[in-house]
Amino acid sequence: MFVCNDTYDVIVIGGGHAGCEAALSAAKLGARTLLLTQNLDTIAQMSCNPSIGGIAKGQIVREIDALGGAMGRVTDASSLHYHMLNTGKGPAVHSPRVQCDKKIYQFTFKHFLEVQPNLDLMQDEVVKIDTDDKGVCGVLTLRNTYYKTRSAILTTGTFLAGTIHIGTVMTPGGRYNDMPSNQLSKNLREELKLNIARFKTGTPMRINARGLDYAQFRPQPSDHPLWTMSHFTDVSTLEHKNFGQCYITHTTLETDKILRDNFMRSALYGGNIHSQGPRYCPSVEDKIKKFPEVTSHPLFLEPEGFYTEEYYIQGFSTSMPEDVQRALIASVPGMEKCSITRPGYAVEYDFSDPKDLLPSLQHKHVPGLFLAGQINGTTGYEEAGGQGLIAGINAAHYTQHKEPFVLRRDEAYIGVLIDDLVTKGVNEPYRMFTSRAEYRILLRNDNTDLRLTPYGLQLGLIEPQYQKPFENYQHLCEELCVGKMPTSDLELGPWSVEKAQRYAQVQQKYAGYFERNKKDAEKLAEIDHIKIPEGFDPASVRGLLFESAQKLRSVQPQTLGQASRIPGVTPADIQLLAVHIERFRRLQHAKKSA
Amino acid sequence: MNWKKDLEKIPSRTRAKLLKYIYMNDTICAVSTGNASAAVAIVRMSGPQAVDILNRVVLHARAWQPRVQIFCSLFDGKDVLDKALVTYFQAPHSFTGEDVVELAIHGSPYIKGRLLELLCAYGARPARRGEFSQRAFLHGKMDLVEAQAVCDLIASGNQAAHRLAMNTLDGKLSNRLTQLKTTLAELLAQIEVRLDDVDEEMAPLGEAFITQQIQSVLSHIKALAQTFSVGRLIKDGLKVALVGVPNSGKSSLLNALVGFDRAIVSDQSGTTRDTVEETLDVNGQKIILTDTAGIRDHAVDVAEQEGMRRTVRAMEKADVIVWVTDGSLGVSAAEQNLWQQIKEQHKRTLIVRNKIDQTVVKLDLPADAQGMTVLDVSCKSGQGVQELKETLVKDMDAAESVDGVLISNLRHYEALLRAQTDLEEALLQVNAGGEFLAEHIRKALFYLQDLLGEVTPDDVLGIIFSKFCMGK
Repeated sequence: MFVCNDTYDVIVIGGGHAGCEAALSAAKLGARTLLLTQNLDTIAQMSCNPSIGGIAKGQIVREIDALGGAMGRVTDASSLHYHMLNTGKGPAVHSPRVQCDKKIYQFTFKHFLEVQPNLDLMQDEVVKIDTDDKGVCGVLTLRNTYYKTRSAILTTGTFLAGTIHIGTVMTPGGRYNDMPSNQLSKNLREELKLNIARFKTGTPMRINARGLDYAQFRPQPSDHPLWTMSHFTDVSTLEHKNFGQCYITHTTLETDKILRDNFMRSALYGGNIHSQGPRYCPSVEDKIKKFPEVTSHPLFLEPEGFYTEEYYIQGFSTSMPEDVQRALIASVPGMEKCSITRPGYAVEYDFSDPKDLLPSLQHKHVPGLFLAGQINGTTGYEEAGGQGLIAGINAAHYTQHKEPFVLRRDEAYIGVLIDDLVTKGVNEPYRMFTSRAEYRILLRNDNTDLRLTPYGLQLGLIEPQYQKPFENYQHLCEELCVGKMPTSDLELGPWSVEKAQRYAQVQQKYAGYFERNKKDAEKLAEIDHIKIPEGFDPASVRGLLFESAQKLRSVQPQTLGQASRIPGVTPADIQLLAVHIERFRRLQHAKKSA
Repeated sequence: MNWKKDLEKIPSRTRAKLLKYIYMNDTICAVSTGNASAAVAIVRMSGPQAVDILNRVVLHARAWQPRVQIFCSLFDGKDVLDKALVTYFQAPHSFTGEDVVELAIHGSPYIKGRLLELLCAYGARPARRGEFSQRAFLHGKMDLVEAQAVCDLIASGNQAAHRLAMNTLDGKLSNRLTQLKTTLAELLAQIEVRLDDVDEEMAPLGEAFITQQIQSVLSHIKALAQTFSVGRLIKDGLKVALVGVPNSGKSSLLNALVGFDRAIVSDQSGTTRDTVEETLDVNGQKIILTDTAGIRDHAVDVAEQEGMRRTVRAMEKADVIVWVTDGSLGVSAAEQNLWQQIKEQHKRTLIVRNKIDQTVVKLDLPADAQGMTVLDVSCKSGQGVQELKETLVKDMDAAESVDGVLISNLRHYEALLRAQTDLEEALLQVNAGGEFLAEHIRKALFYLQDLLGEVTPDDVLGIIFSKFCMGK
């Protein structure tokens, strides 16, 4: 065994969307960071569709960006098609979505990591996380190298004991043609005793566009005028680009029949898959089974890159055998003549119960171990990136003995996401929706910078040269909102007067609702500041309802606010807890004085 | 972030004050004297707004001097409600350590109920069980031994509320609230799924449909809120509508109820010539009986229409509906029809099987009327009449005898009123855009959740996933 001489502060295990953000943010905060991945050429790979953003997800990308993460900037660098979703509805539900060139995305992100000081990259697979009495102390790799570390961030995606299904064919794999991490799965289950369960997800087939009859589809061109995903991208850098085109079409009765005739041959219905998949974004065989009255489902063709003819067919996710997949493609008008390049498949993988995590994403039972992304039961690049960013910050803070950084539900979708995960747990892969946020009017995509950039600057994730322009922009927005005209030519950097005007307009539309949301949020935010003191066992409180006591014991909330959001815990339970916390405090105080 | 850390360093007493500021900024109120029949009752109010609220309920606002008793008139916006002896205790020199106001008033259930309603209308909220003591403890006004008693008090309230939610105390109420919750959750799901439908594949929800859904929940909530106004019943009397097909013996029943009691207060014609109202007194409780008599004088087809119209109007005004059916006959088609009308009122209903002195046939109730209270009555012999009267006032007695029930009803009432306000606002936003509409419906759902248990956004997502095929 080779023992590496250096001791790292943070080791990130996995180089997907969570791992990349985690590594960047930890390194930016001054932690000596190492990212270990099986394959450096698949860093930040878009394993499913070639797009970033979408309903509620686009808001998350802008939040990551406003905090100083890379996802938004990398998206703009690799973009080939922009579409603002939901513009027919109110601005609170507008969501940005950008199609990207998969390869450019990957290598741009890789470059971001390579130039980041404090961050080492190494191609190797982790097989074991080593702990001592203080928590995480090192990791061991497949090549038998041992790295000492103070903390580790697990971002394993679908790779932990991943199994791939195409029809009745089952192969081990985290992604098609990529090996799963089976030894690490065993280590987590048996040695670290994590509560591991299985989820399922899937991806559709990719096709070669040669032979597509475009006349049969409805084209969706890129938006005009141009906009950017990142707050920091200069829109003029996009002007020279040749944007691509997406296409919309539908399944037919023939598609329906093929699926019905072959139900039992799919991995999902043939009996090979037992784990829970998402109820939204179901595989196409699932759609036919669960919604028999719908005979035509939308399909969305997304180009995979500038230099390829491959298209991703959103809506055709399937675990049918290859011959059925060919027939499915042939059943769609305009696709008869094109061929499949990669079949769709379902994948089953390990995740760890997120109720075992603190809101910092640190594991309650393994100090120094942080988890982010699909291992926490979520799906989506954006959900993963958001958790990765937070896990990176908090792992760095952990090694620097600083307070954890936790976003509230009224501050960010990322706050809603993590609070839902650690408080309620998951029973299917978790995807963000705007309806999960009770403060939707506050959490818009047009105010992510105003909400979160102050944190980004304060934490040190955003370059200091943006400080002054951002403050000017904040000031400008305030003035416009009270009806004043912008006074002078302030330096606004990547921000602009037009952006502030748009913001003020939206703000005006929602004024009454904004205030109402804000008031509600403040009231609740305040009980989030009441910490449940260490050593106090909420479940031991006499008089709590039995069910509540059980739930409190399983979640172990950190604050009275978190306790109040556990499903089934009553206001009276919270009243009782408040009295008992104070009682506990007085007793501790008396002990100390004595 | 920083101040969270600072909070940890603050000593416990100061912390408790902070706790008060942050967790209990509300002003709470309750009747603090338990016995309903006492001549004097004390209503207590605690919290930062206590004095402001007091100034809105007294006839003349003033600067209140601590610990000085003032005799003054309470005003309900239109009339003088009562004369009261008012004492103000300034924080921290009070029972709870907050600003406290005590109002000694006359012990009538109506005055107590109405005063609490007013205080809540002006910004207070009904106290939860043990909440005054809880605040006293958190402000260092009680020691650790006493704290246990506080906890026991809260815990017992918790169990009671839990039993309520668990359907054992009042199954009908919780069933109905659950139905309303489901309707709203489904409507919200329909709205939310369209907010998430980026391809605009779904047909929009019709404005008429949305309005109708909200209206239907709203009318139920209004009806429910009305039943909770115990104070009004005590003051104005319990309105009872006697309904039934011709010849079922409504009028005889009315006479029996009034006549045997020999306590006729008045015998006047109602608002229409053909409606008779009688007032009687049962154990000190005023009851107003309405009978839709006299329709037989008209031509049959007109009479049936007009009779039904009047019956419906009487039922709309009533607090309790008594369905009178002839025990010697079976349930007729006309009665089936009547039952449908009764059901739509969503009111407390009793069934009287009349004429049991004659040959009685099996009472063949409609399926959804089975399990309702059925009383056997003979107007001739007087059998069952007293029982009917007592049944009519029973629930009201219960409301009066336990102080806690009055308050908890007020809490329900308040939650329903808030839900009602949001639904009314929702009606104004039907054409404004889904995100506005969703805000109000979500709020209304939240208040029903407060009464029932839990509705998380996940419930709504659950409906979305099960009913709609969602893309990526």
